[in-house]
Amino acid sequence: MGNRFRGSTMAIAIVSAAVGAVVSMSVTRTTGQTSRPARTADGKPNFSGVWQANNEASWDLQAHEARPAPVTQPGVYPYEYARVPAAPLLALGAAAGVPGSLGVVQADGQIPYKPEAAKIKKENEDNWIDRDPELKCYLPGVPRAMYMPYPFQIVQSTNKVQMAYTFAGAARTIHLDKVEGPPDDTYMGHSVGRWEGDTLVVDVTNFNGKNWFDRAGNFHSDAMHLVERFTPISPDAIRYEATIQDPNVFTRSWQIAMPLYRRLEPNAQIIEYPCIGFAEEFLYGHVRKQPLVKRWEGETMIVDITRKVPPADRFHEWYRR
Amino acid sequence: MRRRLLEAIGVAAVIIAVAGILKGSRGSGEGTAASSGPAPKTAWGEPDLQGIWTDVFQTPLQRPAKYANQEFFSDQERAELDNQRSAIPRRDKRVERGSERDVAGAYNAVFQSVRPTGRRTSLVVDPPDGRIPSLTPEAMKKTGLEREYRLALLQPTNTCKNQEPGCAGGKFGPVSPKRLQVPPLYNTGRLNRNNDPEDRSMSERCMAAVLPDFAGYRRIVQSPGSVSIFYDTGQGQGWQRVIPVDGSPHLPQSIRLRFGDSRGRWEGNTLVVDVTNFSPKVSFMAARENLHLVERWTRRDETTVEYVVTIEDGTTWTKPWTIKQELTRQDEQANRIYYEPRCHEGNYGLPTMLLGARIEERAFAAGKGPDPATKDTATDFGNEGGVDALVGGGG
Repeated sequence: MGNRFRGSTMAIAIVSAAVGAVVSMSVTRTTGQTSRPARTADGKPNFSGVWQANNEASWDLQAHEARPAPVTQPGVYPYEYARVPAAPLLALGAAAGVPGSLGVVQADGQIPYKPEAAKIKKENEDNWIDRDPELKCYLPGVPRAMYMPYPFQIVQSTNKVQMAYTFAGAARTIHLDKVEGPPDDTYMGHSVGRWEGDTLVVDVTNFNGKNWFDRAGNFHSDAMHLVERFTPISPDAIRYEATIQDPNVFTRSWQIAMPLYRRLEPNAQIIEYPCIGFAEEFLYGHVRKQPLVKRWEGETMIVDITRKVPPADRFHEWYRR
Repeated sequence: MRRRLLEAIGVAAVIIAVAGILKGSRGSGEGTAASSGPAPKTAWGEPDLQGIWTDVFQTPLQRPAKYANQEFFSDQERAELDNQRSAIPRRDKRVERGSERDVAGAYNAVFQSVRPTGRRTSLVVDPPDGRIPSLTPEAMKKTGLEREYRLALLQPTNTCKNQEPGCAGGKFGPVSPKRLQVPPLYNTGRLNRNNDPEDRSMSERCMAAVLPDFAGYRRIVQSPGSVSIFYDTGQGQGWQRVIPVDGSPHLPQSIRLRFGDSRGRWEGNTLVVDVTNFSPKVSFMAARENLHLVERWTRRDETTVEYVVTIEDGTTWTKPWTIKQELTRQDEQANRIYYEPRCHEGNYGLPTMLLGARIEERAFAAGKGPDPATKDTATDFGNEGGVDALVGGGG
């Protein structure tokens, strides 16, 4: 009699625990994203939340050692490894440096440019300040938005996945259902997604070719077709892969890959980076009635800035290659 | 005893299975789950606000006085208004080719969306007379200073010389000393001056979007604990917000944002969103950093979301006021009305305004052109009387 009683008590305990486990898996917690369920109501990996890449791809997709600055000039010696920061970056000292990176380009780590395109890449590098769309606060495009050094937020529903980026308030909708294409080519591309098991596969097309991949001048044309794969590593990490095809620029397709990490701070959220206002002096300062940003003086350095207005046919397109 | 334990485990298995079936029956498939009643639910059981929504009707912000406390038009009144409105000649006349007015009037009827008259006599539903409460003395003083400044910059123009509506409250005179002064508040409108980008309106700088927004399209995507709303508004000046619905507190008061800080919670079938922490760089009808919004989003039926927002700023208006608006679901397949916000990327207008002014200044200095200060590059010619005098407002 005593044994039977103990048996049924244990059984009740097992049942309660089991039911409790089922119920808690289906409950959405309301205390911040650290206790978010690992799967959504429709059984998919739960990508909703605030994420961020944690690498140096935004500087340069390829493996590289640290550099004094994104723009450098010859130093005392004629060696590549002995260059010094160029004038626009000198005042920032070691904060202007480009950190070293293992690189995110897969296979042999090379980006297979066609010869003419490789020349353009080099020109982009040398003319970073005039040409990089990031400096103008232009919409960063995909995949660049995925690994800029700011958090982004994913809101995952059953027919759409919305991605809200910090930089310039950029965003994109990944359509899991059928929609017509956009009426025009776009900066952020047109994203159509599907689930393959636990992997979200996204086809991105309709680019306008005005974006770069990074601050090192890597670029693509309006013919780019991107295939992205988001695969959970754990509830708090995603493996992000992107295959890049662009027959105008590259001799073959190539791939980048990196982890994306969930921002685990309680109540993590995006704080806007409204850089249109930040970039106005950079973009329009040369046509103010009176120059505004002219001079800075520190203990050992004076920086004088002179603006110039390009000739009429280059006034608007001064950054175009 | 073993048999008892096995029986108990068998019972446990059944209970788990039943719980699983109950969980599964909450709905599956598309984000807008098959509606089990007038208000669809998401796959995880929340009211479903998802889709592309816009106001398909023309409704003025404030109620024309003759409708007093009448919140809705009768069907007959609506039909009559539509008749009258379709008879109004739209903005399509050319004036003297190449003149300032001709260029400024370049936005003709093609650029103006005309929507049918709505049910409502106004978007404002509280106060009950459909009129925005009066400004506080403090706000009146500020708007007075701003108006004075704006009119001072128009003083030497033909707009004031000819006593046109664009100069109402001002007078004709020589170039004002105010032209050399910084405006009294951070300027968000069009000034009659082109010294700096800051002289131009937020719209010309591609930063015009504000919250609350009544005019654009909004795409709503939901997940448990967050609601994303992307606004396509203001000629490519769209913006994105994600509303946390997770009990988290507002950001510290020291953090100020263009669109404020939103915090949501469900009250029954309504998403209630509290918005604070606005930036002083942004103006919603003269309210700036003290603006406080309480929004209420309710999916009324398959095609309607009701949007209610109570707008409060004790330093600007003497009372809070409330807007109510019905939003209609748009075709998601079409997708062609949903543009990415790339006003800034194509902003040729702003630098050209400034460069043009620099060229005019050089011509004037060489005695080869008029004083640029006498030109009017601020007034919206052709729109002073309001295109829709009868119904007004909107878009």
